[in-house]
Amino acid sequence: MEHTKHIWRISLLLLLVLIGAVLGRHFLIPDSFGKAGFYRYDALVELMGKEPVHGAPDSCADCHDEKALAKAAGLHRSVQCEVCHDVLSSHIRDDDKYADMAINRSYKLCAYCHQKLVARPAAMVQVDIAEHLELAPGDAIPAEACLECHDSENIHAP
Amino acid sequence: MSRDTRRNDFTRRDFLATAAKGAGALGLVVFGGGFAFVSANTVKSRTGETIGPFEYDPTKHEYLYLIDVSKCIGCGSCVRACERENDVPRHYFRTLVERYHVSRHGRVYADSPNGGRDGFDAKDIDADITKSFFVPKLCNHCTNTPCAQLCPVGASFVSPEGLVLVDEERCIGCSYCVQACPYGSRFIHPVTHTASKCTLCCHRLSKGLTTACVQNCPTGARRLGDSKAVGDEVVEIIATSNVRLLKPELHTEPKCYYVNCSQEVR
Repeated sequence: MEHTKHIWRISLLLLLVLIGAVLGRHFLIPDSFGKAGFYRYDALVELMGKEPVHGAPDSCADCHDEKALAKAAGLHRSVQCEVCHDVLSSHIRDDDKYADMAINRSYKLCAYCHQKLVARPAAMVQVDIAEHLELAPGDAIPAEACLECHDSENIHAP
Repeated sequence: MSRDTRRNDFTRRDFLATAAKGAGALGLVVFGGGFAFVSANTVKSRTGETIGPFEYDPTKHEYLYLIDVSKCIGCGSCVRACERENDVPRHYFRTLVERYHVSRHGRVYADSPNGGRDGFDAKDIDADITKSFFVPKLCNHCTNTPCAQLCPVGASFVSPEGLVLVDEERCIGCSYCVQACPYGSRFIHPVTHTASKCTLCCHRLSKGLTTACVQNCPTGARRLGDSKAVGDEVVEIIATSNVRLLKPELHTEPKCYYVNCSQEVR
């Protein structure tokens, strides 16, 4: 047959394309791609597997139960420890103390919630800090202005 | 002569038709069979260690998010918590708090200095402000995602529990998704140059914890619900209260519901 050569050529070419496609897919497409959808399933597991930075709501009470009980009875009961303190993972790693917990005594912490603002719901306890301190216009608010009078122990259980 | 007849037995047209069919069949074999290469091995992280196995079953959850605008005091605790939990770079936000001042004539003055991360200062507006409020915002984790469906490399995806997530390893940083998101929930990470967004703290959810923003909200303005859980309070509130979505006209079917939210919020 005079076209045999052509048939062989096209078959060989197709075979090469097929091998190329199979190998290409094998190396280019990650293993878990398509397991649950058009994405790499392992990416989901990697994202889910990240270590949390903040603790659970009751993590702090495991060691500091006195403070936690005082806070639970106080006005700041709905405020998580980590809102004012640093995150749990900066203090505890592998169930052991890793470093001292940073303590922020800045008036700014108080101002985040209690600085008087028009947009803030009226039921929220608010104070115009500069006015409250009777500062002259333009004067900076002292760094620990709030805690100087409002004792830090009372912050946990006012 | 005989040569011509032989030719007519199998014309060029026939050859092309047969070839096309053959190629189609081959294509089916190659691409249909491609999933045979997908193995169900144990999961390895990028650094090579094996992760899991998890007791958490993503198919048994469907998270809903509820924001009560009347409870938000604009303290920014959520923004700071999110930043620490997810290592969000400065001046980029996975969640933020907006402040709205609305004048009597309906003029809207909205601002969000540094996403509300550093709190808000009093703002002087030369208008008759008749209402003002804070609105927390985050990824709406749309059911009908404009972002994930156009990702050209399959890096943006919707997880079995309905979370819209990004595979940093596959993302090529083309930022199509950043442009597609009608809520502005995505950004290109300045260090990795890949798309980044709220994951609804899926790494916490998988361990039975709630999201960093919900946990650190002092007033309960942010709440997380699970529509596949029995007797979920948030699902009940959504079912019985006057809730609204952001940009419902886009039919993205967001999973973030807002209560007590004025229509100025978009």
